[in-house]
Amino acid sequence: MILKISQQAKGELVFASSLFLLGIFVAWDTSRMDVPQGSSIVSPQTFPYMVAAFTSLVGFGLIMQVLRGRLGTPEGNHPGDSFVGANFKTMAIIAAAIGLHVILLEIAGYVIAATVCFFGVAYGFGSRKYLKDLGISFAFALVVYFAFTIGLNINLPSGFFEGVIGNG
Amino acid sequence: MGNSFAMLMDGFQTAFTPTNLMFGLLGTFLGTLVGVLPGIGPALAIGLLLPVCLTVNPTSALIMFAAIFYGAMYGGSTTSILLNTPGESGSVITALEGNKMAKAGRAGAALATAAIGSFVAGTIATLLLAFGAPWMADVALTIQPAGYLSLIILAFATVGTLLGSSRIRGLVALSVGLVIGLIGADLQSGALRLTFGNMNAIDGIETVTVIVAIFALGEALYLASRHTLVRTEVLEMKGKAWMTREDFRRSWKPWLRGTAIGFPLGVIPAGGSEVPTFLSYGVEKALSKNKDEFGKGAIEGVAGPEAANNANAAGVLVPMLALGLPTSATAAVVLVAFQSFNIQPGPMLFQTNPEIVWGLIASLFIGNALLLVLNLPLIRFWVLLLKIPTHYLYAGITTFALLGAYALNNSTFDLQVALAVGFIGYLFRRFGVPVTPLIIGVILGPLAELQFKRALQISQGDWNILIAGGFPKIIYGILLLVIIGPLVWNFKKKFAVNK
Repeated sequence: MILKISQQAKGELVFASSLFLLGIFVAWDTSRMDVPQGSSIVSPQTFPYMVAAFTSLVGFGLIMQVLRGRLGTPEGNHPGDSFVGANFKTMAIIAAAIGLHVILLEIAGYVIAATVCFFGVAYGFGSRKYLKDLGISFAFALVVYFAFTIGLNINLPSGFFEGVIGNG
Repeated sequence: MGNSFAMLMDGFQTAFTPTNLMFGLLGTFLGTLVGVLPGIGPALAIGLLLPVCLTVNPTSALIMFAAIFYGAMYGGSTTSILLNTPGESGSVITALEGNKMAKAGRAGAALATAAIGSFVAGTIATLLLAFGAPWMADVALTIQPAGYLSLIILAFATVGTLLGSSRIRGLVALSVGLVIGLIGADLQSGALRLTFGNMNAIDGIETVTVIVAIFALGEALYLASRHTLVRTEVLEMKGKAWMTREDFRRSWKPWLRGTAIGFPLGVIPAGGSEVPTFLSYGVEKALSKNKDEFGKGAIEGVAGPEAANNANAAGVLVPMLALGLPTSATAAVVLVAFQSFNIQPGPMLFQTNPEIVWGLIASLFIGNALLLVLNLPLIRFWVLLLKIPTHYLYAGITTFALLGAYALNNSTFDLQVALAVGFIGYLFRRFGVPVTPLIIGVILGPLAELQFKRALQISQGDWNILIAGGFPKIIYGILLLVIIGPLVWNFKKKFAVNK
């Protein structure tokens, strides 16, 4: 139990520290900013420095809170619920589905990219009816594609539909 | 006053054209839909529809968005009552008593008091909005940049510290939002910030992408990571959604009190709809003659918070329209919607775009009435939606969110941003950090910088201008109260406990 709690605190400590570092990072980026000549009274660096200081300050505050044992309550939990570690496998599946959509969109076209994404997320959420899921994914992608390109006149990469329906 | 009335009548003329009426109807339908569905709220829905609507005429699109705004609140209560999983944050309290009522076979009465209460509160609050917002805009016209900056800082403080369970976590969210708001070229000097040579980043990060990604992708990643997806049971609804004379007798005062609590807390940025609904619940519990029923399904505990929720939503529109200051995620996305039509909400809005703003306000009245008429009879249809399997629901939401992010500029850079922001959304949920302050930071950060620079240009670089004059002093005084007040309160409580 004690080990579990400290593990949870470790994760949050990394999160809090990265916020502190984000502030320092913004300050560093601001310090090497190319300031155009003839800038007005207020330098474009002033406000970013303030944001950087604020970010590091609250990051530091969060570190202190975590060290004092005041951990955040994950959304959907109630304070005092026992800590359950994240399932990074299912999360990675969702992230991969989104990532594949980004990669495939302009290479293979919208319909394929959206089918892959829909199917991947459904799989990540535990659905194992592959054929049914694939059918629904494809139908969803197809309906959205035609609704947007023909119905709303919004261009989406057509991919293999290019020859079939022109530019939609 | 009389002028507002005449303008409102013109607004009704705008809202009653067939096209606008149709968009209003579509909005109430979509709004209820997203309110009912778990995992998709009004802010996300408007964000998703924004790219689609850029080709529509601004008045119609904004009327639709406003209808979504109100509709989501009606839908949210249905989910709370029948599923015990609130569809949106303002309905969390409704679930307390509403779900108990449904379990006791009184779902019909709970749904009816929620819907009628929302209508009563929405109508009164929209009236207050119609007369209050122009007045506030008139006052705001005299505010100098330094005063405006003080208002933004007050909004930062209230949204950052009042939301969620922990103050520091609200401020964390705000700071990340401010950093995202920095990305891109500085408006005045053109100096590049945090772009790292990426040409796409020069124009900054699209607010809509941030909103869509943090809600849709963040939620999907988070839920997937929790792997224990409990399928909650949808309670059957027996009989009609209607209430008895006795239910009415017990509901009407909570409706009015809920309105009185919800509206002002929306106007002064008190951080979302959680606070007013919670307060209203507390008040009803304290005043009720049936205290023993609370926790077992007291109708007052549904009527009050639901009214407070709707009145609050109208209240939030007052500073959004009159000052250009959004204080909730949904108000923020409505503001972005205005901006994408090149309309800037703020003191000048009532003069530069009267037909749009009055058409919008009038359509809120119409939407509210439509919602009442549509919702109670259609309730069985909405209940069917709750039976969509979770995996298809989130697959659909995720795919649609990516489409929304892409369609804005037809650029995969926006999609990469969306994935990154989605991951931030995951981390926030995981560590109990609220997301709304981040959105407020993204939108108001650049505005704060602009007002800050304007103030210092007026004073030729003298920082004293920031606290010169009566207005900023009053606002900073309120700010101190907001920050110190709860500290004193907590200290007193601790002291009392220790004694």
